[in-house]
Amino acid sequence: MRRDDLVAVFADPDAAEEALRTLHDAGVATARVASPAPFPVIHQTGHPGPWRALGVVALVGGLSGLGSAIAFQVVTSKAMGLVVGGKPIVSWTAFGVIMFELTMLFAGVVNFSAFVILSAFTRRWFSRRAREQVTSERIVIVVPVAGYSEERKGAIRASLSHAVEVLS
Amino acid sequence: MTDANSLTAAVGEPSPITRIERDTLASMADTSGYYWLGLLGAVSLTALGGWALSQMLREGLGITGLNGTVMWGSLITSFVFFIGVSHSGTLVSAILFFTRSPLRAAVGRSAEAMTVIAILTAGVYPVIHLGRAWLAFFLLPYPNQRGLWPNVRSPLEWDVFAVCSYVTVSALFLYMGMLPDFALLSRRVRGWRRPLYRILSLGFSGTDGEWGLFEKAYPIFAAVVIPLAVSVHSVVSWDFAMTLSPGWHSAIFPPYFVAGAIFSGVAMAILLLGGLRRGYKLEHYIKPEHFDLLAKLMLSMSLVMTFVYATEFFMAFYRGSAAESEVFRWRATGTYAPVFWLVVLCNSVAPLAIFWRRVRRSLATLVVLSVLVTIGMWFERFMFIVTTLAHGYDSYAWRNYTPTPREVCICLGGFGMFVTLFLLFIKILPSMSIAETMQGEHAAGATTRGDPAHGHEVTRAT
Repeated sequence: MRRDDLVAVFADPDAAEEALRTLHDAGVATARVASPAPFPVIHQTGHPGPWRALGVVALVGGLSGLGSAIAFQVVTSKAMGLVVGGKPIVSWTAFGVIMFELTMLFAGVVNFSAFVILSAFTRRWFSRRAREQVTSERIVIVVPVAGYSEERKGAIRASLSHAVEVLS
Repeated sequence: MTDANSLTAAVGEPSPITRIERDTLASMADTSGYYWLGLLGAVSLTALGGWALSQMLREGLGITGLNGTVMWGSLITSFVFFIGVSHSGTLVSAILFFTRSPLRAAVGRSAEAMTVIAILTAGVYPVIHLGRAWLAFFLLPYPNQRGLWPNVRSPLEWDVFAVCSYVTVSALFLYMGMLPDFALLSRRVRGWRRPLYRILSLGFSGTDGEWGLFEKAYPIFAAVVIPLAVSVHSVVSWDFAMTLSPGWHSAIFPPYFVAGAIFSGVAMAILLLGGLRRGYKLEHYIKPEHFDLLAKLMLSMSLVMTFVYATEFFMAFYRGSAAESEVFRWRATGTYAPVFWLVVLCNSVAPLAIFWRRVRRSLATLVVLSVLVTIGMWFERFMFIVTTLAHGYDSYAWRNYTPTPREVCICLGGFGMFVTLFLLFIKILPSMSIAETMQGEHAAGATTRGDPAHGHEVTRAT
């Protein structure tokens, strides 16, 4: 567990949300949440994270798929010397289907890969012990309290009074 | 036999396991005799298909009823049918996601699983149909000494890319939706499932950052899946429509195939969900309203299909092409007329009963109708494939086709494989979304508590 972190476990998403609001009101903006489901409380922490890049990453993935499809079809068509009865060997209409399919495939796969990689980075902020507290009826709020005075820590503990358990 | 209690382990302090988690675990642990009976039947059917396939691999395609005129028969019929079944699962799930429908939490997971399993089953048939199944890799583009590449202008090659893309993206879509559930279950279960779920969760822990990423990545996936699903069945329809054969060469084929796919897929979804609901006592999650909505969708697709059938006939006679009109006349009155009228009965007439609310609310009646639609849709694929080939332009080449018993066994084996994989899925993996159901119930509670803004926010978050 990360030293000097307070880990508060809540049984109710609304109680966790209320506690987070109280913490914000007390000037504690560094608290983070881990939740079994995307309850509204996860949107209250104010940590935008790296996910804004995901759309761009998926777009780049899709475009790379499109480029790969074009290159693949043009190169293999020219390499084969197929008799096509005077029709163009590089036929964009006929190539359109595979271009579309590979664009979508690459966009999906890159989107998923980016999600997995960025998730691994973003969860590093949380200690393993804090993450393992999360179950279907346990929502966790983590408050880093390093360097805080005992009085301030007490105030934070008071904000987390509705927690079923506070680990420190 | 295990039960949910023996499957679960206490986590930290004693805490009540949530109902959705308990019921999901129960669906994986409480194995009834009916489950084993169903699995035995499905595995037996698969084994029967495997035996027939082994005969075909030894003796060649000659054991089938295919001939020089009708070179596509029941195997390609089954391929098109299962592609159709696969079509609607992910499509419906993604559409329900974008429309924020509460229906999705209950039926989305099973529908997505149905898609992946159906497309895996579908992919087996063309490989079998090749005759020399061990040379199926020729379809894939790979550098080789002969300098040969697949013909990328051929709709059959488009199929390879479309099906491979669809199965990959659908499987990832299904898998991504299960990540939060794997994370929860890995802390709840014990035994061999725990390390399995831990690995499958890819470390997902439910932190705010991960949910932020999830809520961004999942809609992108859904947006990718919808056009891909539509494209796959359009591409399959071009296998036929790109030829000049009478009865096939028609611009209506892509929407006709897509509508037929949704139709058969919804029927299959009703069958699978009905089994899940009854078998695992999931009445709290899979409700009559859900079946009511699915039934309405099935009825809509039935009406679209009827319109398409009528349009096809109208155009065949209006166009003035002798070969075209002859094929359609023969469909309705020739050798395969019983198949044609069976299709009309199952796909156009029987579903009209869904107009009655009592029918929509009766699961037993809906199951019967879904079975009829499933039969009707398989024979519809059979009808348009075989009648065009058997009765094409060249009257000297006209020849009928009847599947042989061993060919029928191979087709039934595919159905056995489909059911086997689905039964294994619900035994090993969560068949309902735990996280999504929890979120939905919390949102419903927020609205009930007079906090509509809160409820709205939750719904928007998914």
